[in-house]
Amino acid sequence: MDKLAKQLRDDAERIECTVSEELDERIRASLHGITPEAVARSAPRSKSFSFWFVSSLTGAAAAATIIAIVNLQGPAPIPETTDAVPAPLNLPTIQWHVETAVLTTPLEQEIENLQSDLKKAEEAVKQDIDRLF
Amino acid sequence: MSNEASLIAAARKGSATAFTDLVRAYREGLLRFLLTRTSSYADAEDALQDTLINAFRYLHSYDPRWRFSTWLYRIAINNVSRLRSVDTVELGDLRDEESDPLQHCIAASDRENLWQCARRQLSDDVYTAMWLRYVEDMSVNDISTVLDRSVSWTKVNLLRGRKTLDAELNKDATDDKSKAYG
Repeated sequence: MDKLAKQLRDDAERIECTVSEELDERIRASLHGITPEAVARSAPRSKSFSFWFVSSLTGAAAAATIIAIVNLQGPAPIPETTDAVPAPLNLPTIQWHVETAVLTTPLEQEIENLQSDLKKAEEAVKQDIDRLF
Repeated sequence: MSNEASLIAAARKGSATAFTDLVRAYREGLLRFLLTRTSSYADAEDALQDTLINAFRYLHSYDPRWRFSTWLYRIAINNVSRLRSVDTVELGDLRDEESDPLQHCIAASDRENLWQCARRQLSDDVYTAMWLRYVEDMSVNDISTVLDRSVSWTKVNLLRGRKTLDAELNKDATDDKSKAYG
């Protein structure tokens, strides 16, 4: 263990804190008051027979009503034909004049130098990391 | 089956007692960490309680391939982030020498505690990465899982954190020497 790591560990141990009895009691009480989600989800739910019977009857009645309404209605009216969509107006065309930027030689040289510096810095960081971890 | 695994299995079935036994070993470490990330001792205690409640409630989502402490820290960090996003006042504004919980909990010494210095100089994530590495002995992979960052981000930022604190440590040593020599 190096000097810094040892110092960090020692300094963390110098932070004095304990879980008080009161906090311990509080945590214990709140844990006993809750149920894990998985347990709550898997708990069986009992429904009485009358619940299933009433919901089946309600479903059957709703289905019969919908069938009756659909069959009693006449055929849907045929929609009138709509006018054709008008042809688009002649939109003005915009003339874009674009000029190509030309890099001058000193700028290109500058970019090459920066890229090379960046590469060197990356290698230095990689070496540092490999050395430590 | 290890003791921890059997306690996890019992807690998953809903045993609060098994869960209390399971987290007993981690509570003080978590509280110490939360103290350095909250604005008061009471907040740290609340955050610890919330962390343990959430852990018990969502224990079914725990993947045994991870260390249990890794999972707990992840929940704790999420809780602290949520606490901070709810606070309208910046944590830095709340902290002064007198109200800082860390200040009260650090044993008296002739030099500054490195973790106080780390909190001042490092970002939250880098601070947490340093804590998990050097106090909790977590691997780089575990730290990246806790922080939801890439392994390379973790490595680079641990290195940065080290460099910053190393410089601080050396500065202290130099100050001591110059005091000794007048």
